[in-house]
Amino acid sequence: MTLPKPVSRLIEQFQRLPGVGPKTASRLVYHLLRVPEEQARNLGEALLDLHAQTRFCSVCFNITDVSTDPCAVCRDDKRDGSLLCVVEAPLDVQAVERAQGFHGRYHVLHGAISPVEGIGPENLKIGELVERVRKGGVQEVILATNPSMEGEATAMYIHRALQGQGVRVTRLARGLPVGGDLEYTDETTLAKALEGRSAM
Amino acid sequence: MRIVRLSLANFRNYIRLETAFPRGAILLAGPNAQGKTSLLEAVYLFTHARSPLADNDRQLINFLALREEQPFARLEAEVEDSNGPLRLELRLFYERTTAGEPRFRKDVLVNGVKRKPSELPGVFRALLFLPQELRVVEGAPSDRRRHLDEAAAQADPPYRTAMWDYHHALTQRNALLRALQEGGGDPSQLDVWDEPLAAAGSALLLGRARALAEIETLAAPLHRRLTHGLETLHIRYHPAWDPSRPAGDADGLQHELPIDAVVDHTKWKADQVRGMFLDHLRATRDQAVRRGLTIAGPHRDEVRFLANGIDLTTYGSRGQARTAILALKLAEVEWLRARGGEWPVLLLDEVFSELDMRRREDLLADLACADQVFTTASDPEMLPAGYRECAQAWWVEGGTLKPYSPETEKS
Repeated sequence: MTLPKPVSRLIEQFQRLPGVGPKTASRLVYHLLRVPEEQARNLGEALLDLHAQTRFCSVCFNITDVSTDPCAVCRDDKRDGSLLCVVEAPLDVQAVERAQGFHGRYHVLHGAISPVEGIGPENLKIGELVERVRKGGVQEVILATNPSMEGEATAMYIHRALQGQGVRVTRLARGLPVGGDLEYTDETTLAKALEGRSAM
Repeated sequence: MRIVRLSLANFRNYIRLETAFPRGAILLAGPNAQGKTSLLEAVYLFTHARSPLADNDRQLINFLALREEQPFARLEAEVEDSNGPLRLELRLFYERTTAGEPRFRKDVLVNGVKRKPSELPGVFRALLFLPQELRVVEGAPSDRRRHLDEAAAQADPPYRTAMWDYHHALTQRNALLRALQEGGGDPSQLDVWDEPLAAAGSALLLGRARALAEIETLAAPLHRRLTHGLETLHIRYHPAWDPSRPAGDADGLQHELPIDAVVDHTKWKADQVRGMFLDHLRATRDQAVRRGLTIAGPHRDEVRFLANGIDLTTYGSRGQARTAILALKLAEVEWLRARGGEWPVLLLDEVFSELDMRRREDLLADLACADQVFTTASDPEMLPAGYRECAQAWWVEGGTLKPYSPETEKS
């Protein structure tokens, strides 16, 4: 049986999303066929708005409203502009925000250096970061890239690019998860935690 | 360490197999091409989830199952060591992606919990002895490196980490070198890959030096006994980049190996070697960019086996290679045991046909106290009578196992 064109087209589109297979895609489409048209229309409009109504913040390159540039965080006077947290992706900003211990500003790189995937420093917002620091006002740059080899390489690259700028450059500590059990910790994490131990 | 129960589905020529195995000596007898070696392969797969006998994992799935809609193979083992029982499971799927591309997937489960295949080494320990492993002595340097890596990764968790980190950093660095070679660009970008490469590379180099020194100490007396005192075995480690000759050969190429050069690499400190390797990577940077690849490093290391000073890879006879590999394997058993406190499960494929009767008896005496030894033989008569009496025997035919005693066979 061949499906009506609009149905198969939407199934195909859903399948391209991460974590969605053919079954889930069909289920979603048939669900949308059952709901009031209004609801489906809202979804469509939300999708259209996603790209039309957002942009990168011209300061930190996080995602922001088209009408709000610089973004809310960059505008917030209560935030400490001398402290800059550098992350790989917008979702990482959310993660740091959830931790509620950070009141500085952000810089989103949109990736990590990975020659295998053809991603070099020029494909990331690293030049913009150096420029931002050069303009002054920043005292400490916290490198919060992922603890993967690519994240480490990116952090090292930025560290070198910022040398001579007179800013303090720090890296997120690596160690044991809170509430975890020492005996179940994998050896690599434990080795890094030992390496990065701190005086009491 | 031992296998208590093994269950196979669609693995090689085993459509279904469900067997319990006892402690001690196990003999798998039967004609050729009936599944004796595949059974050893199945057990060995639980060490690394990678087969030394298949070019790709697809070959592991039964060929009839491959014709089915969703081909899969499942291997399950109940393992026991001094820490208690352990359940290991491997699932191999050959499936199609939503785009219709064929794709191979491998799941590893330890006690029912999914783990990465890379987390498997060290959980279950086994040592496989195959006749074709003569290539460790006779074959290419990469055969010797792989063999060393497999043994060391089981014994030494930091070695394992260094091995993966090294290859990860090497892949990224080589990709960048190729990009610089083709399109130009700022070579200082290499800095961020040189550092992890030097850190992992120095750990790997020292890990190999230590492992080989320890294995040599254990292998030499075994080898002397196997050759009835006629030959002395030496294992020489020749790192492609050598901290003892940091400037080395100007072009960083694999050099003619001076066979008699005895260098003790174990005396080095990790930080020292890391710094020197980093200097080397920086010094050879222009050359690396011109060629588009990382020139010297542990990925091109060489190991050589010498009997009475003669390099077995180049000048050894078949018989000498056999004795050397046997001594090496037995030494690795000792070594794994010293490192892990447990006997690895021993998987011996047709080793006895390679030896005369006296050496067969020597070998079996050495292995008599192992927790579990699987031995295959197409002709059980080749085994010493004492062994045939104490071993539990199975007859393997057409992917099935049945208990077997030499007497019933004769009648």
